[in-house]
Amino acid sequence: MLAFLRFERRRIFGEKKNLIFLAFISLLSAYFVWSGLNEYRQFQAEKKIFIKFEKEKISQIVNYAQYGVFGFRLLYEVSPLNQFFVNSSVLQDVESNIDSLEAIKMESSFKGKKLFLKRGYFKDFAGIIFIFGSLFMLYLGHLALVSPAYLRIISGCMSLKKYYGLTTAARLFWLDLFFLALGLGLFFQAQFEGVGFSGTEKMIYLFFLLFLVVLLNFFYLLGQLTSVLVGFRNIFFLWFFIVWFICIFLLPEMNRISVFNQSLVLESAEKVNLEKFRTLMALEKKFRDYLKVNPATPMGQIRQMQKKFAVQFINSSYLVNSGLETKYLRDVEGVISGHERQSVLFPTTFYQFLTGEASGKGYYGYLDFMDYIMKLRNRFMQFYLKKRYESNDATVESFVHHDENIFRARSRLPKTFWLGLLATGFYSVAFFAMAYWPLRRLVYLS
Amino acid sequence: MITLKNLCVEHGDFYLSDVSLQVCNGEIYFLLNRQNSGNDLLFNVLSGFRAPAAGEIFYDECLQGSAERPMPAALINKVPEAADFETESRIGDWIDFLCRCGALRRENVLQTLMVLNFNETNLQKKVRDLPPEIFRQVYLALCLAGNAPNLVINDFIKGTEKRLEMKFNKLLGQKKAAGQAILYLGNDIIYAAEIADRVGFIKNGHLLFEAEAVDIKDMDIKDLYYKFLS
Repeated sequence: MLAFLRFERRRIFGEKKNLIFLAFISLLSAYFVWSGLNEYRQFQAEKKIFIKFEKEKISQIVNYAQYGVFGFRLLYEVSPLNQFFVNSSVLQDVESNIDSLEAIKMESSFKGKKLFLKRGYFKDFAGIIFIFGSLFMLYLGHLALVSPAYLRIISGCMSLKKYYGLTTAARLFWLDLFFLALGLGLFFQAQFEGVGFSGTEKMIYLFFLLFLVVLLNFFYLLGQLTSVLVGFRNIFFLWFFIVWFICIFLLPEMNRISVFNQSLVLESAEKVNLEKFRTLMALEKKFRDYLKVNPATPMGQIRQMQKKFAVQFINSSYLVNSGLETKYLRDVEGVISGHERQSVLFPTTFYQFLTGEASGKGYYGYLDFMDYIMKLRNRFMQFYLKKRYESNDATVESFVHHDENIFRARSRLPKTFWLGLLATGFYSVAFFAMAYWPLRRLVYLS
Repeated sequence: MITLKNLCVEHGDFYLSDVSLQVCNGEIYFLLNRQNSGNDLLFNVLSGFRAPAAGEIFYDECLQGSAERPMPAALINKVPEAADFETESRIGDWIDFLCRCGALRRENVLQTLMVLNFNETNLQKKVRDLPPEIFRQVYLALCLAGNAPNLVINDFIKGTEKRLEMKFNKLLGQKKAAGQAILYLGNDIIYAAEIADRVGFIKNGHLLFEAEAVDIKDMDIKDLYYKFLS
């Protein structure tokens, strides 16, 4: 095995074009991690301004009625790991406004600097390795066995099975080592730059690297299989491109279209908002009807009536509306779970799901954010109604304590992580075994 | 010693029927067959890459076994096109690797390369960058490095420069003197008469005629050619 390791190390790292490509991948990855780090720092700076602004805002608000209308903003703070997945996330930079109005809002701002923050197109560490790493591994898989004539010479010295197995193992060892070193190097660099990662985040990143390596091995073995199936002919490059395109673009896109189609069974968010609005307006109408019937009601009594209606609202309509929102969220969760299960079926689709979740801005991050909004909103409504009808408006007390208006999204692994890893490993082993028999035929019988 | 017993081989247009022959230690046997593809096929069968339709092959009285196991014979094939060796490895690394994995002796490789007047600076070159003639030298040195007691050669000198052919003949002479049994497959009757001890002629799938090389020199080669190889 040592001889294979030494020989393959020289084959891979002694080739100028391989070195250029590896240097290109490393530089590009480092650049995008640096860019992610800059965005993270920028976010931290803007977070401080956001907190300051929100504190300032409350001091300007005159009464609780006004506070109920304006409410307060809730900022979505990503996990520090996001700098490695900054463009692989599902959500954009989002925030929400919690107020006494019925619709739950989740918005992304394009104002000022954010206008120039174009997301997508694999422009992060995870994306660069996904695009260029897969391309490189497919190519090296193609080069591994050279040609049937070459293998015939080799098989004069050792069995084909031994050469095939050990060459694959040795090449994967060096390539995996390179990508692991790159991933860990960039992680330590980020730490060195002052980003603090929690123990869980470190673990998640390590598991991500583990999956990344298995995914790259999948591409290597796919390249090897493709090369054997086309008989080492030059037509390989056509198939090379087709296979790569299908794996990287077509299947993930089909997966995305599929989840979109599954999401069509969900009711429109507007419809849910409208239903909630109707429930609210029904109560409002009752109050207006009461005032029409009793136009001369004194102000103090109106205030008492308002309070009564408010309590009634909290105990009935608000609960109905919260129930509607919760049910809607659970329906969305059902679609997400289906999407997760479907993603497991192919390594590249699972990789995209995994990077989204590891970034902290994935589908489950969205669900956590919505749950947090609803919990906070429930408390805010209680606070608002209590303060509005029971206290005087001399000073408006802020609902937000400490940094409650910052939602800290956590990076996570999908529940199906081990299943996805196992499925990817299974594909790789299958490709490895499937390539051997045609290879044997090519070497011995051609 | 190489022994073929009632060997039958069949593939496409080519077939061999019931061929039996024995190559003794210290002997060069030249099996003449005008069909190149037939020689390639027979070489693959002798190498263990392809199973014969019937019959048996013995190397030193050991039945040729599975195709997966390295052979108790050195196998020297026609050297393929350089494009088939589009590999990134340097020739020196390649030799080291094959010596380590194939239990070949590096000294033997270097010794053969010295006989072939191989320039050492070529060891730093990549396999794919070597001129075909230099690559043939390396290939030959690797094939002969195992010191196997038997040698099966498939028309190695075809297309080589005269200089390499002469050195190759010298090496064959050394191997023969060392007591190795050498079976050469080819279609060049003049070369056969030059290097072989015995020559066998295959025509229409049968081993029709066997002769001592010294006798062939006395015969009319043209006549033999038209009779068996045309």
